[in-house]
Amino acid sequence: MQNKSNKNEDYLLWGVRNVGNVITVMTVTLAILVFGVWFLVSPKQEFSESENRQLALWPTYTFQSLKDGSYMSSIQKYLSDHFPARDQFMTLKTKAEIMMGKQEINNIYLAKDGYLIEAYDEPKQNEKIITQYGKLYQDITTDAKNNIKLMLVPTAVTVYNDKLPASAPDKGELKQLETMDEIYNARPEMKRIDCYQGLLEAAQAEKTASEFTPLYYHTDHHWTTYGAYVAYREYCKAEGIEPLPEEAFTKTVVTDSFRGTVYSKLNDTTVPGEEMTIYENPDNVLSVNYTDSQEVTDTLYNKEYLEKKDKYSMFLNNLHPLIEITNETADSDKVMVLVKDSYANSIVPFLVNHYKTIYVFDTRYYRFGPASFINEHPEVTDVLVLYNMNTIDTDLGIGGIF
Amino acid sequence: MVFSSIPFLFFFLPLCLILYYLVPFKVKNYILLVFSLVFYAWGEPIYILLMLFETLSDYTLGRIMDKAADGSFRRKLCLALSVIIDLSVLGFFKYADFLIESVNAFAGTSLTPLGLGLPIGISFFTFQTMSYTIDLYKKEVAVEKNYFYYLTYVSMFPQLIAGPIVRFSTVNEELHERKIDFEGFIQGGLRFLQGLFKKVLLANTIGSLWEVIKAAAFASTGELSVVSAWLGAICFTLQLYFDFSAYSDMAIGMGRMLGFHYLENFNYPLSAVSVTDFWRRWHISLSTWFRDYVYIPLGGNRHGELKQLRNMFVVWFLTGLWHGAAWNFILWGLFYGVLLALEKNIWGKALGKLPAVLQHLYAMFIYVTGFVIFVFDDMGQLGHYLRIMFGMSGAPVVNADILWYLRNNFLILILGCIISFPVYPWLRGKLRSAAKGNGGLSEMITRETFITILRSSFYIILFFLTTAYLVNDTYNPFLYFRF
Repeated sequence: MQNKSNKNEDYLLWGVRNVGNVITVMTVTLAILVFGVWFLVSPKQEFSESENRQLALWPTYTFQSLKDGSYMSSIQKYLSDHFPARDQFMTLKTKAEIMMGKQEINNIYLAKDGYLIEAYDEPKQNEKIITQYGKLYQDITTDAKNNIKLMLVPTAVTVYNDKLPASAPDKGELKQLETMDEIYNARPEMKRIDCYQGLLEAAQAEKTASEFTPLYYHTDHHWTTYGAYVAYREYCKAEGIEPLPEEAFTKTVVTDSFRGTVYSKLNDTTVPGEEMTIYENPDNVLSVNYTDSQEVTDTLYNKEYLEKKDKYSMFLNNLHPLIEITNETADSDKVMVLVKDSYANSIVPFLVNHYKTIYVFDTRYYRFGPASFINEHPEVTDVLVLYNMNTIDTDLGIGGIF
Repeated sequence: MVFSSIPFLFFFLPLCLILYYLVPFKVKNYILLVFSLVFYAWGEPIYILLMLFETLSDYTLGRIMDKAADGSFRRKLCLALSVIIDLSVLGFFKYADFLIESVNAFAGTSLTPLGLGLPIGISFFTFQTMSYTIDLYKKEVAVEKNYFYYLTYVSMFPQLIAGPIVRFSTVNEELHERKIDFEGFIQGGLRFLQGLFKKVLLANTIGSLWEVIKAAAFASTGELSVVSAWLGAICFTLQLYFDFSAYSDMAIGMGRMLGFHYLENFNYPLSAVSVTDFWRRWHISLSTWFRDYVYIPLGGNRHGELKQLRNMFVVWFLTGLWHGAAWNFILWGLFYGVLLALEKNIWGKALGKLPAVLQHLYAMFIYVTGFVIFVFDDMGQLGHYLRIMFGMSGAPVVNADILWYLRNNFLILILGCIISFPVYPWLRGKLRSAAKGNGGLSEMITRETFITILRSSFYIILFFLTTAYLVNDTYNPFLYFRF
């Protein structure tokens, strides 16, 4: 009797477990089918706003691509790029990793005070960069040759090094500064403009101040307008220019919901949006000419971007190969050529006060080397090369060679 | 195609299973065959011809052998031809360049390597197809008369590219007649999910820590400490175990969904108490293959100790070589050959008397060191890493890096260590008896229902988490892919 009822119990309990197994496997099966069908019927985006990149296209078939397997790997890329709820899955993964105690995810440190800071990859192209700068110098034949300035901007991983989590590999290792020195020392013909000290002092001052403006965005790899202002003061000091005081500018908070590129690498939705402030000098009379689109405006900003994800692009209307900016009220007639990345878009509003005309080059998109442009424009008096230490490694177009 | 990928999980597998379940039984093998060939061609569009050639040759030789008289010369010739052809193909595509480079290194010649890519899974399917002709010669299996069925057996996608090495005798009957039912789908599905979670959530995450530590060992700046080097070696051990056994889990699970019963390939090898024990638990389908087709035919242990030592040497040399065409794999095989011989003849008995903890530590020390030999196919790198591990490089014993590694990974590492021991079956048993416990039947059912709901939710959550990792995959290698 005992034995029989025992068997009966076992059978019932087995039944419960079995129902559980059926529910588990059938739920997963259903999920697989739903996602499969969802993928097939959903409209495909070409561009991911949140990741700020072009998504993979369905590959075109060629026998060669089939033979070497690239056709299949492209399909794989396409499938994962267009997978339904991709951003939400990213959020889920980040959340799980934070729960597991991770302090670095996708090369982003979860640093103090809510900062998301990109880890520093040692540059692989140092030699090439140095060669390209040398080439720029050599190729210029006008007087501007003797007035080339180089400003390399350290990123948050260096200036806000204190904020990195304890014992992080980048903590206390200011490798960016070593790389910067290496480049500066290799090109003594370019005037070194160091903004690190200024930024560092401002970062130190933050610690004791009760209220302060941050130098870098919490969720983006760029510096803030204030960070650019600090660097502008260092530039002026080096150039013997009297910088405008902060009070000369009208500060406007243009958004409080900026979530930048670093945020996108994690998609942690609990990270709050942050403010973006612009500094405008009301006395400026500007004309900004985007030569690629032939568009002429009177402002350094395109506020349409504030409605989008990619809000930093409001500075100088995102990226253009060549922009010509003139300011009627500049305090000199000097003409500058600015060779730069997107960091410089924040510093241009300050520089326009001292240069009648600034030609802004983004050599990643400008096909003819800036040197030939300078040679055709003998009125150019100053050349400023400005890069942040994370982009510098990927931009080799400066000498006009791609 | 790998199992842990979006195309496989969300498109290939569901499509294959739906068609497979819908068609009448006679057509099922053909559906399986077509999908298997697409699966293989996805990663290896050209070398698929090689697999077709090997199977066709073994199938034909099998048919001829079957018609020949017992003990006839023709039978022997068929077997010899089959073995020679299979091993030549394997030797040519896998080992030719290794041989050329070794000759160049020792004889100072400068022969040009052929630069052939290794066909995916060739080591696995060659051993599978050889098991057929050898067993047929020994009259242990029946001849297969349908070439497409034979090709289905060899190319079946669950076990095609990374094992287990399924012998023809295991699936011979099921190829012609098998039960395909809902129970198999559910049980197979669960097993597949376990493998998938192991691969994506454990192997990949622990593996990325290993990549970081490996990079630190060879970085120009900074120094890898002795402790960190050991942590790295442990990470690689866990990664390889989870990666490879997950692949077997997924294979066995999918086989079950399709109505096949494959043999187990791993039995918690990291919980071994000796080297002998480790090899009874690690990649069982490979070690038994070498035992049955090399060691025993050579005479095994029946012709005195000297011959037995020779046989062990041959088997372990080949086991090492099977894993890859490089000296470190041979070294790895011989490392185990020597240790097994020593264990058998010298300290095995004494070892068995030690406390269990010490036996485990002994085995761990050996397999962790062994996998370091396994992972570096560059002898210079191997030497460098081993010197750090054994404190002969002047590296600090410990430095602050270890804090960072552990802080970011301690939970996953602890979880990995626990799961590599037979904790799951133990827990299952505990939960079952807890559910049964005291009280009446309805209380038991309530408790069991509660546990079941927890378990199901756990599986479903892990499935979504796995999908999240696959969608954002940054690091998803397959370690046993290239053997």
